[in-house]
Amino acid sequence: MESAADRSRILDPSLHPEGSLAIAWARRHSPVLTGLVASTFEDGSLEGVRVAVVVHLEAKTALLASVLADAGAEVVVAGSNPHSTRDEIAAALVERGIEVHATRGSDYGTWEKDLLAVADREPMYIVDDGAELTIRIARQRPDLYRRLRGVSEETTTGVERLRRLEAEGNLPFPAMAANDAACKHLFDNRYGTGQSTVQAVLQLTNFVMAGKEVAVVGYGWVGRGIATYVRAMGGRVSVIEVDPVKGLEALMEGHEVGSAASVLPTADIVITATGGMRAIGMRDFPHLKPNVVLANAGHHDLEIDVAALEEQAGAPRQVRPGVDRYEWNGKPINVLSKGALVNIAGGLGHPIEIMDLSFSVQGLSLHELVVNDLDPGVHILPKPLDDAIARARLEAEGVHLDSLSSEQVDDMGDWIGGR
Amino acid sequence: MADRTSDIVDPSLAEAGRSRIDWAADFMPALAAVSADPSAEVLRGRRVGVVLTLEPKTANLALALHRSGAEVSVFCSGTHTSDDVAAALDRAGVATFARSDADAAVDQRLLDRFLDQRIEFLIDDGAATARHMHTHRRDALESLVGIAEETTSGVRPLRVMADEGALAVPAIAVNDAACKQLFDNVYGTGQSVVMTLLDLTNTQLQGKLVVVVGYGYVGRGIADTAHALGARVVVTEVDPVRALQALHDGYRVETLEAASREGDVFFTATGIGYSLTGDHIRSMKDGAMVAVGGAGPPEVSLDGGNPVVRGGFARSQVRVLQVASDREVHLIADGECCNVAAAEGNPIEIMDLSLAVQFRAVVYLAQHAAGMAPGVYPVPPEVDDQVARAVLGARGIEIDVPTAAQISHATNWNESIDEKEAN
Repeated sequence: MESAADRSRILDPSLHPEGSLAIAWARRHSPVLTGLVASTFEDGSLEGVRVAVVVHLEAKTALLASVLADAGAEVVVAGSNPHSTRDEIAAALVERGIEVHATRGSDYGTWEKDLLAVADREPMYIVDDGAELTIRIARQRPDLYRRLRGVSEETTTGVERLRRLEAEGNLPFPAMAANDAACKHLFDNRYGTGQSTVQAVLQLTNFVMAGKEVAVVGYGWVGRGIATYVRAMGGRVSVIEVDPVKGLEALMEGHEVGSAASVLPTADIVITATGGMRAIGMRDFPHLKPNVVLANAGHHDLEIDVAALEEQAGAPRQVRPGVDRYEWNGKPINVLSKGALVNIAGGLGHPIEIMDLSFSVQGLSLHELVVNDLDPGVHILPKPLDDAIARARLEAEGVHLDSLSSEQVDDMGDWIGGR
Repeated sequence: MADRTSDIVDPSLAEAGRSRIDWAADFMPALAAVSADPSAEVLRGRRVGVVLTLEPKTANLALALHRSGAEVSVFCSGTHTSDDVAAALDRAGVATFARSDADAAVDQRLLDRFLDQRIEFLIDDGAATARHMHTHRRDALESLVGIAEETTSGVRPLRVMADEGALAVPAIAVNDAACKQLFDNVYGTGQSVVMTLLDLTNTQLQGKLVVVVGYGYVGRGIADTAHALGARVVVTEVDPVRALQALHDGYRVETLEAASREGDVFFTATGIGYSLTGDHIRSMKDGAMVAVGGAGPPEVSLDGGNPVVRGGFARSQVRVLQVASDREVHLIADGECCNVAAAEGNPIEIMDLSLAVQFRAVVYLAQHAAGMAPGVYPVPPEVDDQVARAVLGARGIEIDVPTAAQISHATNWNESIDEKEAN
């Protein structure tokens, strides 16, 4: 029989020791995934179940894949973005018998072939990121699409894509919006992306945050987290928004809020976090401050319109690892990590403890899909499971909570005699 | 005349080094301003020796001195040398004695060659070279006119030397300048030490208990950064005033013995050896991390009656200390000052301030050293003002100037009484 290694497409299997060490470190800091989630799967529900994992392929994702494989699943893995794939991690997964299709920095065509190679393993369930595999199966493998039993989706962007499919009447299976669980978006998007984005920007540039003016484009959970840490470390935040409620929230939080044309001319660093495309594009280049640093924290590589920049300014010069400088009409503009997700492409991604929460949501979401006969459509992880994840993490930190007294419970239920 | 041929690993790395140096230069407006000032003319033909961690930012100081017409020599020990930066300096005409592959014997040979350059002005770090000259190379003191010292850990021994009458030349405590310690030690070291730990471990501080050992400027910066990132912070101190200050900044204060049992992450910033020992480490929780933020003597000591044994690496720069059969502690960067040993040191804009002060200190010595007795001197306040003004100006920020009435009021002790009487 063909081995996982034979079926895989990775850079170099001999890189596995370094990858295994990184996965072991992630395991040490992932008490919920290796505790609550692993024990939930002891019911055998994953035995022989084919699961595709298409998430940024690094140590924490590899740990999730390992936990699923340990529970008996047949796991096949690809990266959700070639710039974030770590070849040593891919090698470590193959070494422990998991099939992987991914190499770091592969071109778009090769990456898409990798995704289709995963599709050709006919997964029953997908743990997806940005719905990258799901939408490709919908378009290019319609038969398989109809046979899919469920998808659990990691990101805001991906959940939106799934909801669009549902609205079009083209979601024939249940999908779990893992992103929408409290233990995911309240922590991952805000603290995880917030911290690690600021961290990556500082590491790639060797800048200090104190005294900087930072424009944050988009004030969703991610933008909010970035703004929190920029300010906490001594930077000033200006928010660019199109949504009036979010703009008002940013203002109440004490940040400057304004249009791109008013904010960009004084911003030292611009970070996009809209989850959309071309948040910083042709109309914005004239406003940028000379020697500005542009970084992207959103799902799409296209959030900073690097292609348009290159078309107008010509090819960039790499001035530091991870920093490309364009000369736009004589004005230097620096782009970090080629506009890819800066925290993952230019750093180590989210902190491990945050991904422990997110992947625990993914794990329990997958379990829900496997053991329950859910209707087609987008579902959210039931609150008791969300709570169980938070409680497990608190307990790992040695924190125990009170529970409501019977009087408190009675009072909350008493809607007629309210005082 | 001394042989000014550099001793470096690979001259072909010059281009890569130059690119990194240029990136830093773009964000160093203060150094650019002070080196463009006409006062820098005084450096023409003078011999300046630079002994700092050799990386893009300090290289810009060496280049600024070089462009002002000084004859610049650079020494750096192997562990703190970037070979590409060394190559770029060599190509620019700076005599560079620094090899990352150097062992102790080679470092000694390189230092001797550096001191053979008959240095007039020494820019020192930790006073290591100044002390060596006073003890082992007194011949090199003959040419020496003055010293500019970068760190807290270096100013301290210089003062001791001055008190004992051992110091041969005037030394300027660059470290004590407002534009150095208010920024470098707090924001620069604070941010970069914490970020280095996070970069190396891929972990978070939110929800963690972070113990900061020592609440000087560096300790305060570390505590503030950790707190900003969501940690609960405990400060340990031996100085009651600093402990009280920590309390007023909103931090818990405990003994290190008590804190060592409950902390998740430990940062030391004392500048003093044996600040955290094997006994503390042995009482830590499984998975606790220990990192050093002070650049002076080894603050973490694994020795003692019952020494802690160094194990292997859990990941790059993360050393396992097996303290019990079921508990291990993780030592970052082997107890070296972690932002320097395992990252790029302080941020560029912060080093811009310190290095601009260094530049001006050398100019000051060149102007005034002849009339200065041996001793430790503060940086003149106008230097701080000039450096701060340069940075504000580069950022397009204007500040107010005091009015004549304000100046008069501030400088006449009897004016307010006159006004009352007039009313």
